Amino acid sequence: MAMTDGTIVARSLGSRLFSTATTVVTVAVAVGLMLTLLSMRDSSRRAFERGAGSTQLLISRDASPLVSVLNGIFYANPPADDLTLAEYNTIASLPNEFAIPTQLGDSFRGLPVLATTAEFFSRFVPAFDPDTGASTPWVVAEGRVFDRPFEVVLGARAAKGTGLVVGDEISLYHGFPRSRRAAATDGGGDDPHVHDEYRYRVVGILEATGTPHDRALFTDLPSSWVLHAHDRRRDAAPIEERASLTTTVDDITDDDKRITGVLYRAPSRGGGLGGSSAFIFTVRDELQKRDPSLTIAEPSNEVRGLFEIVGDIDQILVAMSAVVMLSSAIGIMLALYNSMEQRRRQIAILRVLGFARGRVFGLVVTESAVIGAAGAVIGVGLALLGTNAVADVLKAELGLVIEPVFTPRWTMLVAMSSVAMSSVAGVVPALVAYRTPVAQHLKPLG
Amino acid sequence: MSAAALEINGLRFRYRAAAEAVVSIDRFLLGSGEACLLRAGSGRGKSTLLNLVAGLLEPESGVVRVDGIDLFALGPGKRDAFRGSKIGMIFQTLNLLAGFSAAENVMAALMVSGVPRAEHRDRAVETLRRLGIETPDREATALSVGQQQRVAVARAIVTQPVLVLADEPTASLDPENAENALDLIRSACEEAGAALLLTSHDPATARGFERVVSLDSLAPHTAGSH
Repeated sequence: MAMTDGTIVARSLGSRLFSTATTVVTVAVAVGLMLTLLSMRDSSRRAFERGAGSTQLLISRDASPLVSVLNGIFYANPPADDLTLAEYNTIASLPNEFAIPTQLGDSFRGLPVLATTAEFFSRFVPAFDPDTGASTPWVVAEGRVFDRPFEVVLGARAAKGTGLVVGDEISLYHGFPRSRRAAATDGGGDDPHVHDEYRYRVVGILEATGTPHDRALFTDLPSSWVLHAHDRRRDAAPIEERASLTTTVDDITDDDKRITGVLYRAPSRGGGLGGSSAFIFTVRDELQKRDPSLTIAEPSNEVRGLFEIVGDIDQILVAMSAVVMLSSAIGIMLALYNSMEQRRRQIAILRVLGFARGRVFGLVVTESAVIGAAGAVIGVGLALLGTNAVADVLKAELGLVIEPVFTPRWTMLVAMSSVAMSSVAGVVPALVAYRTPVAQHLKPLG
Repeated sequence: MSAAALEINGLRFRYRAAAEAVVSIDRFLLGSGEACLLRAGSGRGKSTLLNLVAGLLEPESGVVRVDGIDLFALGPGKRDAFRGSKIGMIFQTLNLLAGFSAAENVMAALMVSGVPRAEHRDRAVETLRRLGIETPDREATALSVGQQQRVAVARAIVTQPVLVLADEPTASLDPENAENALDLIRSACEEAGAALLLTSHDPATARGFERVVSLDSLAPHTAGSH
C-alpha cells in the first residue's frame, strides 16, 4: 500500500498511543456531555409535555395555571381550594369530548390518591406527545378499574413501590404528608390522618404509562367524599360518639361533593388527539367570563413555560459543557505541543524529502482534527449510552419516560464543532512544526 | 549540452550572529553523474554547504543551480518540490523515520517526487531489493545499522535524482563498514545516474573517488580543485 499523508498522521498518533487515547477520551467525554445535555433537555421537555395526556384544559382554583398543572398533573401538592359540584356541572355543560372531575387531597404512604370517575380510564389518554402524536392509553395489567365505592386502582409505580397486589386492603390518609421543612415554615397545620375505619380494596393495577400518573392511586369520588363527610360529622359530634360514628354515601351532602380540578377536552371533528382546537379558546373565554376566579391552564403551554423559566439553567449547563469541550481542545493543543520537541527530527526529515512547510503544518492540524473527529464519534456513542442510562434511571426512579432524541442538526453541529475546535487547537503546534529549522534538527544527536 | 548536476557561483553564507561567513565559494561545478568527495575539517561548513545546495538554508549571496535550475529563484514551495524530485540526501545519523517500515521510509521520498502513487510501493521495494533489503516491511529502525544504511541510500536514490548529497555518511562507522558504505553509496548513485557530492573529514574516504575537493580551496582567494 502506498504511503500517504494519512499514513503519516496515523503513525504519528499511534506512536503516542496513550497520549492520543487520553486526549480522544477527553474530547469524547466533552462531546458526550454536551449531546447528553442537549438531548435530555429536549427529551425531558417532551416527556413533561407528554405527561399532560389528552387534556387540553385543566380547570381549578389554584393560584396560577402553572401551579394548577404542577398539582393536577404532576401531583406536586393537593390544591389549596376546590370547586363545587355545581361549578363542575357548569363546566361539563359546555360541549366536550370529556370533562372529568378529579379530587386530590388523600394519600397512601406518601403517594397521591386521585379520586375521579370511570371516564378517567375510558376517555382520558394519560400520555400524549403533541409533537409526534404518539399516545399511550390506559392498559389494566391486572384486575380491573374501580366500579363501586372503596375500590382502588394502582398506578404501575405505586404498585411496585408499595408491593400491593389485587385483593389487598388499605386505609388512606386524608391529606398529603408534608416535608419537615414545609411543616416548619407553615407552623405545622393539620397533619394527615389515617382513616382506618374505611378499608379500600385493591381491584386493579395499571400498566406503566411513563407519566406521573404511574405513581398515583385512583379511586372513585363518592368514597373520597365519604371521608370528607366523616371528618365533618365527627367534628360536629359529641366526643363520646365520635369513636362509634359511621358515615356512608347516604350521609354525603352537596357541600361534601367537592372536586379540585376538571380535565377538559373539546370535541374534535376527526376524533383524534392531534391538532389544536380553536374551540378551546372559546371555552376558556366563556369559562373565564362566567367565573373570573377560575384558573384555566393549558398544560402543554404551562410545561413549555416552565421549561422557559428553567431555560437559563439549561444554558448554564450547556455553557459548562462547552467549557469542557474548550478545555479538551486545550488538552489536544498541549498534547501535540509537548510532542513537537520529539518530532522535530521527523519533521525535518519530511522537509528534506520535499514536504513543504504548508504540508507539514497541514499534517499536524490533521492530527488534531482526527483526534477531534475520533472524540466526536466516541462522544456520540457515549451520549447514546449515557442518555439511555439516564432515561432508564428516570423511568425506574421517577416513572418519567424520557426517550432520548438526537436531532441530526444538534449532533452534527456538536460533532463538527468538536472537529473545528480540535483543528484550531492544532494550529499552535502546527506553527511550531512549520517553523522547525530543518538543518538544525538533522544534526547527529548529542 | 546537458546542464551540470550542480553549479555554484559566488555563494556566501553567514549565520546570523557570526561575523565571518561559514561558507564562501567562488565557483564549483559537478558534472552529471560525477562523484566528488568534499573534504574539510570538523566545523568548517560542510553540512552548511550541503544544506545550502539542498535549498534548506538561504545564502547571503550567490547562485546554486541544480540541473540548470537556480534554486533560490524558486519560491519556497517550488524549491521544496524540486528538492523532493531532484535531490537525494544521506546523513551521518541516517535520519530514518522511526515507526515506519523500510518500504515506507523509501516511499516517503516518493510522495513529493511526481511519481504516480500506484508505482510507489513497487518502486520502493524494488530499490530496496537491489540494495539487498529483502524485508521491506520491517520497521526501519529495527534493522541492523548496515541495513539501515541501505534503506537511507535507497531513500536517497529512489526518485532517480540528479544529485545526491551525502553528509559525513561514514563518520560513525568503523573503517570496514565505512568502506562498504562508501562503495554502496557510490555504486547506487552510479547505477541511478546521479551525481554524488559526499562530505567527509576523514582522509581515508578519498579512496575510490576520482575527484576530491577541499572546501577551503573553493574559497574566493584559493579557488580550484585537486
